[in-house]
Amino acid sequence: MTREKMGNILVWILIIGFGAWGLPGMLDRFANGHVNTAYGSYIPWGLWISAYIWLIGLSAGALMISVMTYVFNIEAVKKVGKMAFLVAIATLVGAMMSVGLDLGHPLRAFSLILDPNLHSMMGWMAVLYSAYFVTLCVELYFAIKKEQARGEKQKSIKKILVVLGIWSIPLAFAFHGGVGGVFANVIAKPYWHGPMLPVVFLAGAFLSGGALFATVAYIWRPNQSKEEFLKMMIFLGKTTLALLILDEILELSEVYVGTFYSAYGEGHLWQQILFGQYWYTFWIVHILIGVLIPLFLLTAKSKSPGAIALAGLLIAGSFLAVRLNIVIPGMLDPEIKGIADAWVHSKLTFSYLPSIMEWQVLLFIVAVVMAVFMIGKKVLPIYQTAGDE
Amino acid sequence: MSELYTDILKNNFKGVAMSKEELSRVDEKLTLETDESRRDFLDKFSKGIFGGLIASGVVNALAPVQAKAKMDGSNLNFSEPFKPFDLPPETPGEDGILRMMRDIQRALKKPIEQRHWKMVIDLRKCVGCDACSVSCAAENKLPPGVIYRPVIQQEIGSYPNVGHVTLPRPCMHCDEPPCVPVCPAEATWKRPDGIVIVDYDQCIGCRYCLNACPYDARTFDFGMEYIDGAADAPKVFLGKEKAGKYETEASYEYEKEWKREGEESPIGNARKCHFCIPRIEKGMLPECVVTCIGRATYFGDGNDPQSLVSELIALPNAFRLKEEVGTHPSVYYIK
Repeated sequence: MTREKMGNILVWILIIGFGAWGLPGMLDRFANGHVNTAYGSYIPWGLWISAYIWLIGLSAGALMISVMTYVFNIEAVKKVGKMAFLVAIATLVGAMMSVGLDLGHPLRAFSLILDPNLHSMMGWMAVLYSAYFVTLCVELYFAIKKEQARGEKQKSIKKILVVLGIWSIPLAFAFHGGVGGVFANVIAKPYWHGPMLPVVFLAGAFLSGGALFATVAYIWRPNQSKEEFLKMMIFLGKTTLALLILDEILELSEVYVGTFYSAYGEGHLWQQILFGQYWYTFWIVHILIGVLIPLFLLTAKSKSPGAIALAGLLIAGSFLAVRLNIVIPGMLDPEIKGIADAWVHSKLTFSYLPSIMEWQVLLFIVAVVMAVFMIGKKVLPIYQTAGDE
Repeated sequence: MSELYTDILKNNFKGVAMSKEELSRVDEKLTLETDESRRDFLDKFSKGIFGGLIASGVVNALAPVQAKAKMDGSNLNFSEPFKPFDLPPETPGEDGILRMMRDIQRALKKPIEQRHWKMVIDLRKCVGCDACSVSCAAENKLPPGVIYRPVIQQEIGSYPNVGHVTLPRPCMHCDEPPCVPVCPAEATWKRPDGIVIVDYDQCIGCRYCLNACPYDARTFDFGMEYIDGAADAPKVFLGKEKAGKYETEASYEYEKEWKREGEESPIGNARKCHFCIPRIEKGMLPECVVTCIGRATYFGDGNDPQSLVSELIALPNAFRLKEEVGTHPSVYYIK
């Protein structure tokens, strides 16, 4: 059995498993709204918002791979541009589902596309995501068309793709830096507030999205020779390694500034992250699984494509922990001391652990992301590489 | 008529209930009263006054008269024109409530942009009884998990040098409200009279404003009910249906009827204190002001130098919460 077939079977098993496991949570969400979630009014955002920035980051990272293909003409990834678009679309769909289900009135959100409040970072998100979705679809359309065209027509489509690719660079910076801005602009939350967060969001997005793509390209390798494949995997591995190092430098800087004089500012929040009740999300899920093991795999002398793909999967998967550790700690401090005891209710507390229903909904969303990718891969001519990419 | 009001007010503001004889005298006078507008006023007025003395749940049973004007966002002055009603003549040493009602009447005669509603809370007089929180919840039919005006209680110092502080926390109705610009749907804004409101029909329920508020003054309506999980045995005791009558009662926030049904607004919306717009538009004081047993909460037009709140705000010991964040709250505290 080929790797691709094994991958297909495994992913479809995951889709069915996650979908079946997640379905009760989805039904609960539609039947009871937000009643059975663990977030409340003092910690208003939880797992779904964390998952949204995780998925949209994966999308932005995948988009950057396509930019490497069509704008920078990087040889190693020249045959995976279309697949990168598909990964970006699938994860964008998941991100929109995640944020949509988090809303109190999801259907009203569509009005934001035409009539957003541009004073609000979140209002901008509606505009930018719409533009991003349209851009991705148009880019994928032309990427497929380019393969079917010949001669002059192919050259003109190539130019269109370059223009669209150039346009998508500031777009990616805007929409993912903007997500960082959604948090960084909140003066009331010192842990979020500051100029660093949008940069950290971007670095994390390119890292996690690039890493995920290394796994995808490994399992569903395009029509290429063994040498080409090896070259592509080594390139993706090197890119992931460089981004991992950059991301860790930024994280180290954040931890260092946050904890050095721990008596002030957000020091106690970093204490919570590093040594609090949920310490394992930082040390085990993020540092061990998401940094140290991938670092070992990516720096190994053997340069095995499988090891690079595994490193990518570990980084991309565990990045949800990084997103959780950005979103949740920011809300742990009461704005006014003692407020949680003033009017006692389960939705008026300052502690948060996602409920089972929240996890179920997230699993369902992940199943949808994988299904969109698998169906898209089957329906669209992703692997036809007759023309030059 | 004015004597009657003075009688009621004096008796109430002494903080003691009226005797049976006094009550029957009032009752008799009320029966004789035929002026419809005054009767209407008394209905509203008595609701506020007695609310401070009896359980706030009963307050809501006293048939509040609230406007049901349409709120469409474009018409900021959406209330029916204010119809002034008679108040007793000013007397020396009268209760602050009367003076504040005169302040409100005076303010309502001005165009909306020329008044600025402000609240003052005297922390020295607050005993932390939660009457304001409960009456506010009853007035606005707040569901579980939604609260507009919690009273924060804190012990300060270390034994044996300890103290106890109570801090009622309504919405601050900031002049620079951080909750307003963050709203992606433009569903929340500041009225020209200083009140920060939420358009429930526009709000998408993203809860960004909850995070942006430096006072935790907004809560989200999760669609919960007090009778959730309650036992139901109709023939044995009153049962869910009777106990849950509260849940089906409409609230009249923003001068519109709101029934919490299914997933309809205000379920799934951000909710907050609105200084009891339906009451003040009719010349009544906010519920938390009239039910405060210690007369610790004051309300009026901050643009009117003659108003009681303007006098109090000018005191050297008046302060606002978190001045450093630059929100310029409309709520002042006195310590």
